[in-house]
Formats: sequence, structure tokens, C-alpha cells
Amino acid sequence: MGIFDRSTTGHITAPVTVTLERGAMIFFAETIGETDPIYLDPTAAHAAGHPDILAPLTYIAVIGTEAGKTAHRLGQTDFLDLIRADLRVLLHGNENYSYHGPLYAGDTVDVRTEIVGFVDAKGGQLEIAKIRQTMTHPERGLVVDIKRDLIHRLSHEAAA
Amino acid sequence: MSLTLQSARTGDMLPEHRFGPITRTTLALYAGASGDHNSIHIDIDYARAAGMDDVFAHGMLTMSQLGRLVSDWAGQPNVVALSSRFTAITPVGATLTCTGEITDRFEKDAAYFLRLRLSATIDDGTQTAKGDALIRVS
Repeated sequence: MGIFDRSTTGHITAPVTVTLERGAMIFFAETIGETDPIYLDPTAAHAAGHPDILAPLTYIAVIGTEAGKTAHRLGQTDFLDLIRADLRVLLHGNENYSYHGPLYAGDTVDVRTEIVGFVDAKGGQLEIAKIRQTMTHPERGLVVDIKRDLIHRLSHEAAA
Repeated sequence: MSLTLQSARTGDMLPEHRFGPITRTTLALYAGASGDHNSIHIDIDYARAAGMDDVFAHGMLTMSQLGRLVSDWAGQPNVVALSSRFTAITPVGATLTCTGEITDRFEKDAAYFLRLRLSATIDDGTQTAKGDALIRVS
């Protein structure tokens, strides 16, 4: 018996606008141990030909999470709530990024989330939600295409 | 001679990248910095009530290190795609060893590309993530 609300298959959330904040990006870059100044120092980023500090490759997930929080604040439903994700038993299955261009501090993107579908695995011990997100910049167009699998462990043995 | 985008051929290995040990402080900071406040990664009481022995690291913390492995070597503007599949839980105290191997070099639309196979393992040799990356050489 699954937990995800499978009737949400095919649903596409309303676009959520997120602005990349420099301070938050530096905090993230430092936390993951980045030492390259293009992620930390606007002056160094400029000198390297970038308009501002660059978002690290996996900062995409942070923008996605922020989009969910923004949706909440606007009284909309975040996709995690929509699919009825249960954080107590939720695991991250996989995360895939296709990059179409860089993202910098100060950029604003529109985040769209699509509930692609749900599948069962390991004889029903796991259920998987397949999610797709896109992030679009108003002038530069699509900047990243994201595919993500989120998993519910439906028995304790399925933890790892 | 160090491995460059131009010299890389199938079977070559990227310089190994290590990160850790991942402490409870690392997880608290990652929760704050990433905005992923899921209690399963930072609150042992919550984790136990959910049937786990302890908190465990965010999958995305591991993927962030696969990202560093790739961007440090290739330069981020050359990275066309990055993916990670999380294959085991990363416990508190683990040190990650991230490796990358060139699995293909091909030409498409007048540009050269490299395909990389990525891996993250913890101290006891358990593989916690498998990944792939696609790099544009020119």
C-alpha cells in the first residue's frame, strides 16, 4: 500500500519565481567546501568573466527547495505536499541535471514542477515518485532541466 | 602530467576528491545552507521515531561533492549534465571518497564530449552514490 497520492500524475504546478541571493549562495558554497573564488567572491567572479558569483552545479536543488517554500508562502501547494510525501520515510532516489546555461547571483528563474508518475519497486517495499522540474530565465530561456526520483520506504528493511 | 580535457581518453581517472568526516555539524550547516530542513537529517529523536538508528546525510550533500569533483577538473561552464543515484545511506562520521572515470569520448555537432562515470564511497567501501557527467570539451 503506497502513501503517495497517485491521482496527482500529470499535474504541473503553477510556476514559482525564485531570485538567487548572493549571501545564501556563498553560505552554500562554503558549506560544501568550495574554495574556487568564482563561487565565493564577486570580484574574482568578475575577473573570470562572470557577471556575479556562479551557482555551484548542485545549487539547482536549493533553488527547487526554495521554490517549494515560496509556493507555501503564496498559499499554493508545494509538490511535496501535493504528492503527500511523508518525510519520515522519504529517501532521495536520484537527481539528474541537464544544464543549458549558468546561473548567477541576482538571477531570477521560474520553476515549474511536473508529477510524471509513480512506480513500485522491490516487491512493494518501495514506491517511487518521478518528478520533473524546469528552471527558466526570462531572457536566457531554459537554464536547467531536472529529473528526480523520490522514494518512500514502506518497510523498515527497505531503509538502505 | 595532469589529466586535461584535451588529453583525457576512455579509462582515465580524474584526481580523487575526499570530503569529511561528515559530522552532525556538517549536517546542520547543510540543512541551513540548502534549505532542506527535513528533520531526518538533523534530529536524532525524529530519526529514531521514524525507525532509523540515527540521522544520516542528505543525498544532495554527496551529490554536491560529485559536482565539486567534476567542476574542479572540467570547469563548471563545460559541464553539460550531472546525475547521481543514491545507493546507500551515508552515516554520521563518514568520509566520502569521490572518483570519476572517463568512459567515452565522442564528437557530436562539431564538438567533443567526454562521458564520466562517478562514484562516492564511504570508509568501509560501501558505495553510496553512482553518477554520470557529460563534459563539452570544445
